[in-house]
Amino acid sequence: MGVAVTADLRAVRRRLRHVDWVLVACTLALVALGTAAVASATATPEQPLGLLRPRLAHVAVGLVVLAGLAAVPYQSLGEAWKLLYGLSLALLALTDLVGRTALGAQRWLALGPVSLQPSELAKLGLVVALAWFLSRRKDPPTRFADLFPYLVLAGPPVLLVFLQPDLGSALAFVAVLLAMLWAAGLPRGPLAALVAAGLLVAPLVWPLLKPYQRTRLLVFLNPSLDPLGAGYNLIQSKIAIGSGGLWGKGLFAGTQNTLQFLPMQHTDFVFSVIGEELGFVGTVGVLLLFWVFLLRVLQVASSARDAFGSYLCVGVASLVAFHVLVNVGMTVGLAPATGIPLPFLSYGGTALVTHLAGVGLVLSVAVRRPKILF
Amino acid sequence: MQPEKPVHLPTRLTSLAVALTVALTVLGLRLWQLQVLQGDYYAQLADTNRLRIHHVAAPRGLILDRRGTPLVLNRPAFSVSILPMELREPARVLPELARVVGIPQEELWSRWERGRSRPFEPVRVRRDVGIRVVTRLEERREELRGVQVEAEPVRVYPFGTAAAHVLGYLGEVSADELEALRPRGYRAGDLIGKAGVERSYDTVLRGDDGEHVVEVDAAGRPLRVLREQPGRPGNTLVLSLDWELQQEAERQLRGWSGAVVAMDPRTGEVLAMASSPSFDPNAFSVGISEREWRRLLRDRRNPLLNRATAAAVEPGSVFKVVTGLAALQEGRAGPASQFVCTGSLRLGRWVFRDLQAHGVVDFTTGVAQSCNVMFWMLGRILGPDRLATYARRLGFGQPTGVDLPLEVPGVIPDAQYKQGTWREPWYPGDTLNMAIGQGFVLVTPIQVARALSAVANGGTLVQPRLARAVLSPGGQVVRTFSPVVQGRLEFSPSALRALRRGLEAVVERGTGQAARVEGLRVAGKTGSAETPRGRPHAWFAGYAPAEDPRIVVVVLVEHGYRGGLSAAPIARAILSRWRDGQRAGQREAGWASR
Repeated sequence: MGVAVTADLRAVRRRLRHVDWVLVACTLALVALGTAAVASATATPEQPLGLLRPRLAHVAVGLVVLAGLAAVPYQSLGEAWKLLYGLSLALLALTDLVGRTALGAQRWLALGPVSLQPSELAKLGLVVALAWFLSRRKDPPTRFADLFPYLVLAGPPVLLVFLQPDLGSALAFVAVLLAMLWAAGLPRGPLAALVAAGLLVAPLVWPLLKPYQRTRLLVFLNPSLDPLGAGYNLIQSKIAIGSGGLWGKGLFAGTQNTLQFLPMQHTDFVFSVIGEELGFVGTVGVLLLFWVFLLRVLQVASSARDAFGSYLCVGVASLVAFHVLVNVGMTVGLAPATGIPLPFLSYGGTALVTHLAGVGLVLSVAVRRPKILF
Repeated sequence: MQPEKPVHLPTRLTSLAVALTVALTVLGLRLWQLQVLQGDYYAQLADTNRLRIHHVAAPRGLILDRRGTPLVLNRPAFSVSILPMELREPARVLPELARVVGIPQEELWSRWERGRSRPFEPVRVRRDVGIRVVTRLEERREELRGVQVEAEPVRVYPFGTAAAHVLGYLGEVSADELEALRPRGYRAGDLIGKAGVERSYDTVLRGDDGEHVVEVDAAGRPLRVLREQPGRPGNTLVLSLDWELQQEAERQLRGWSGAVVAMDPRTGEVLAMASSPSFDPNAFSVGISEREWRRLLRDRRNPLLNRATAAAVEPGSVFKVVTGLAALQEGRAGPASQFVCTGSLRLGRWVFRDLQAHGVVDFTTGVAQSCNVMFWMLGRILGPDRLATYARRLGFGQPTGVDLPLEVPGVIPDAQYKQGTWREPWYPGDTLNMAIGQGFVLVTPIQVARALSAVANGGTLVQPRLARAVLSPGGQVVRTFSPVVQGRLEFSPSALRALRRGLEAVVERGTGQAARVEGLRVAGKTGSAETPRGRPHAWFAGYAPAEDPRIVVVVLVEHGYRGGLSAAPIARAILSRWRDGQRAGQREAGWASR
């Protein structure tokens, strides 16, 4: 009995040594920064701390999930891909049917006091399923026909999310699929063909878009088209970030933020709050944290024990990277407004728990790496 | 049984890392551009967002007559504007606003459309709304976001149509004017002087608007006042007008089309300037309605025209002052020269006929009787060039420079002018016509007043002027205007004396007896100017007292038939009013004798 406990403790200690602490530190730093920005973005004279409390609850849940997933052997998750993937699809379908509508899209599923955004969960579900299938192959997919099973896997969630409509998340699935296929060794030819096919389909999608989505895309091309209407968000975001200057106006002191000129400043535009209040130093700090974080995830991917672990990490990395690039790109006027949150920073429970769960998966892979020889 | 990791995984991961690094670097550079390179620009935009600068309209300066009678003042009032920046729901707010304020919806939409390019500048919708409208708007503040009510004084002209052409009126600054005036603090929707001294002294009268800098949130709710800078009312303009004389002139002209100018020949100060028919400048103060404006423009009697300065007509016999002076100065006539008037003059194939035969007349009598034959003879001797030279030396053919906008120069014709305008050579008959102020000669009453002033004051051409002084809002004298001498006419004293004797005879025993005033020696000249457009214009131009002239009066009655009949009595009324004023002034030395 005692011997067994000692052996367990030794195993735990060995695993803890394999934990990528830089990765963890980056994650925690981003979560902390996001928490401060959310507090600043939602503070009102009546509620000086704004949504700090629910945010902390989200963080707590997320960290528990992170730790739990890190502890579970990831291979067993792979074997359970049917369950995870199936559950994702079921929730997405349910959302499309009975989901709660806000801001013109049916994205939320109400579960008593908690509302859930299944599209976020489905992102991880797809990552697990794709990683599992890719790792089952002996040779890398080379021919266009080899892509068929992956397209079949990715198709339903993309479609269901697109119907909500959540264009940004639908594109996130596509980005994850492409990145994982690339990591799996798909040659440039078929990949390019896939992208080209996607671009050819795009004009067919145009008539399916809601009018507000079309305006958003047009306004991205020319924000001054309607400075008080659809272009308002993008213009105000640029003003917020630009006016932060080098050092920022200080937390809780951004006028764009506190006077409500910045729309959705605690969710989609939380990066603009950081830009205004913490300045160039703050925004570049955030980008550097993401950069280090993503490089560490890719590092874990390359040192993973098996292909499944590698693909899992690539999936998580591409998921986070897509969100960062599109969200930050939107706030600085380099990408259209698609309503995608900034991982770890934006307010929003499901997204935060999902991204922290992704980090949990990566850590699970990390602690099960073979001994690294320095 | 672990599947092998694909062999190319490391290179693929490296390429992903590189792509990621490039993408993040692009974002970093963009942030450098936005935050460091353009930081100041965006900081300014952020301030524009949160700072509302409310302009508190400063009252325009008052306009007084020489005795301090207020001619133009202000009355507190409220204006309604929209702020396009905050008007997020025009489709709901504008129809509602149109209903409450009582203006057509289309007008509101077009104003809003025009204001959209400068969303931070309020667009005036209506001036001088009643207190009931103000209360109704204030009650619905929340519903009518983007609508503002602000205190803005309204210009008042208490005497209505009197001296309207001198005082002028206000109008909203036009887009073209704004282009030039924006650097000097003018903003869209500002009222500026569009005519009269309101226009020529706009910068004097205009005050500096006060500024309230208020921080607002995105909903436009004011949060705190950051800066409060009081405005400064405009300066007061004191005119040289004598309101007693002005009102007399207005009264006399009633029913006629015409003009009166009274002026101090020693200083050029305009004591009265009336033009009839007139208009009510109050109609412009709150923005004139389209209908009213069209009515004024269509009126064939042209009430907006200042007939004293902006319309040149044939002077008729008044011009004989020029011909007479030229003949005397050139030695072609003396006080004792004799002329035989048979009632007509033959010139080649043509015979020029006068109304009557005066028989043998000396120069003085010829002037007194306005004998055309005598002046034809003089004109023939002098020739057109010399006539034109004298006319120009007396200031005809060029604007007087009176401090009013849109003055016209009139016409002093010569061969070149006739060839250029009428494509005809100069005939000797033209010279005869010119000698009696007919033909192509066109003058304005203010020009006649200036020329006669030179005769009256011994040969000094003075610039007619309406402004007398500028006072600060507190009443301190900021600036006084001194006489501007435009030229000295080197006429021999004997020539001037002979001419003046003739002009005295006009009133004593000649055509201008209707201008006689008891207790005041009046000199002058009548004129009946043939015009192609109807009955002759009636003129009288005179000065008094003849021995020491202190006032020049010029009266033009369009289609008044004969100067002696319709114009001279008007001059008489004004001069006797002036005489009364002088007597009163001697008793109590007031403003006038300063």
